Formats: sequence, structure tokens, C-alpha cells
Amino acid sequence: MSLKFEISKCVAWAPGLESEQDWQSWQQGDKPLTDELALPQLSSIPAMQRRRLSPFAKVAIHCALEASGEYQSDIPCVFSSRHGDLQRTTKLIENIALNQDLSPTQFGLSVHNAAAGLFSIFTGNRAPLSAISGGQSSFMQGLLDSVSKLQTNNLSRILYVYCDLNVPECYRPYVTDDTPLGIGLLIEAPKGDKNAFSFCFNTQGTSPQSDNQALDFMRFVLSNRTELLTHIHQQTWLLHRNC
Amino acid sequence: MSDLNHEIKLLIIDALDLEDISADDIEDDAPLFVDGLGLDSIDALELGVAIKNAYNIKIDGSTEDSKKYFYSVKTLSDFIQISK
Repeated sequence: MSLKFEISKCVAWAPGLESEQDWQSWQQGDKPLTDELALPQLSSIPAMQRRRLSPFAKVAIHCALEASGEYQSDIPCVFSSRHGDLQRTTKLIENIALNQDLSPTQFGLSVHNAAAGLFSIFTGNRAPLSAISGGQSSFMQGLLDSVSKLQTNNLSRILYVYCDLNVPECYRPYVTDDTPLGIGLLIEAPKGDKNAFSFCFNTQGTSPQSDNQALDFMRFVLSNRTELLTHIHQQTWLLHRNC
Repeated sequence: MSDLNHEIKLLIIDALDLEDISADDIEDDAPLFVDGLGLDSIDALELGVAIKNAYNIKIDGSTEDSKKYFYSVKTLSDFIQISK
């Protein structure tokens, strides 16, 4: 069994890598990731609404808006993140520890589907939407969820948004690769075999342990390689591309 | 009195992340919510917490009076003065 799909648009945002050109240069080894994460402008969002967006929400919503483009007001979506808006959550936990009153805004926007919810409010999008987390495999789990929904519900397209930023200092010792990264994919039902991607199961063989599947995926999708094999814990993920 | 007004304006800007607005942009008598500054119900909650933390004054959100206190910088300032 395999799940086939096409990627008609791929948008990503990371420190030093913002435009399509940046990512192409990165893939060819001409442009490295930098240390400083700049934030997207999001000028299409009114200032009074934009002020509540955290860096996490800004990166996620930028990728969502850019990838969904003309379909943004009615496309079904899947958002995935391993940690969610952990900076916000950590601040709330600190407030509780210090016996301080919680900020209602921080509280309301710290839930895992906050960025997805804000995107749906900005775009007036009422299509089904889910926000998931799948440990170190969060990127692939989210992609699998998107493609499964596309196929099961016979959708013509679905928006997939992945985002994880640096975890707060106190969590750093528990996280291996902490590269801030947002990805937005406009995923469509395959029109033919050409350029179609597929998830494959029952794979044999081993591959090196992956510390950052999302970054591995970007490297793969921008190349002309036909296979992405990544391994995390007991899971092996295989993505195949027809050329 | 006007010092307190200024202080409240700074508190509003800081608590509500009004990055593009300075204290001079907020008029003492202009409405804070919907018209005027254009704040919403989440801002009202946030401002209530900020005032409690700064002045140790709790505004009961369920009374009709709270709407009067939250009307403008001046009404908030008057309320804080009599409650102190």
C-alpha cells in the first residue's frame, strides 16, 4: 500500500533562509543557516491582530499563508509541531511557580492549535483543521496525517504546516537538534505518476538516525534525489519520488 | 493626576503589546474599546490583570460599573485614585 501525493508549493523559513532562492542556495551548499532568526513581516495582517503573534505564530502563519495562497480561505489544514509555542507555555509555568496571575492572552494562545486557530481567523477559513504533535517524528507524522486525510476524504488539496523554534533554555539539555524551522506545503492529489511522491511502508534496510526530519525533508525536496529514508527510534520513514 | 494618566497609558501599551503606539497617541478621554483605541474583550481581561498587579486593585468584570471604569484612561485613573 502506498499514499501518493503532489507538492505544488513548498515554503520554508529558518535563520538566514527565507526566500525560495535562499533555500535553493542552501541545498547546493552555497548558503548556510545562520544563528539569528528574523521574523516574517506579515503585513497582510492588521496591526491590532498582529501584535498578539509570538515568533512561533509568526513563522507558522507566514508559511501557512504563503503556501496556501489563493486557497487560504477554504483549504483543510494540518499543523504539526513537536513542542508547540513552548516559550509561551514555559512563561505560564513560571508564573504559576511564582504564584503570579496568568496573562489571559498568553494562556489563550499557548494551546497547541493556537497558530492554526489564528490562521483560520485571519483567513476566515472554516474547513477542517487539526494540530498534532508526534515527538521527534512530528514532521513526518504531520505529513502522513495530511496525505491520509487527502486520500481518505478525496480532497483535491490540503495545507500542511510544520513549525518548531528553539526551546527555552531550561529544556535545552533534552533536545538534540534545535534548528528553528517552519515549512508550509500545498499538497494536492496526484494528477499522474510524474512528480508524485509516495509514502512507502514495510521497508527494509537501515539508515542513519535523523536528528531533524524536517531539515532532511527540505534537503530532499529541493534535490533531484528519488528517495528519502529517515530513521528515528524504532520508526523508519521512506518517501519516494517519481521523476 | 496627569502623572497617573501617563503611567496608565504606558501600562496599557506594555500589557497589550501596542508596539506602534506611544503614550501621546492615547487621549485621556477617548474610548479604549471598540472605537478609539480599538481594544477588544481579551484586552479587557489582560488590562484587568495588569492593573491588579500594578496597583493591587481588583476590578470585578461582572458588574456594570466595570464598563464605566474601563471606558477611558481618565475613568481608569479616577477609579484607581479612589480605590487606593
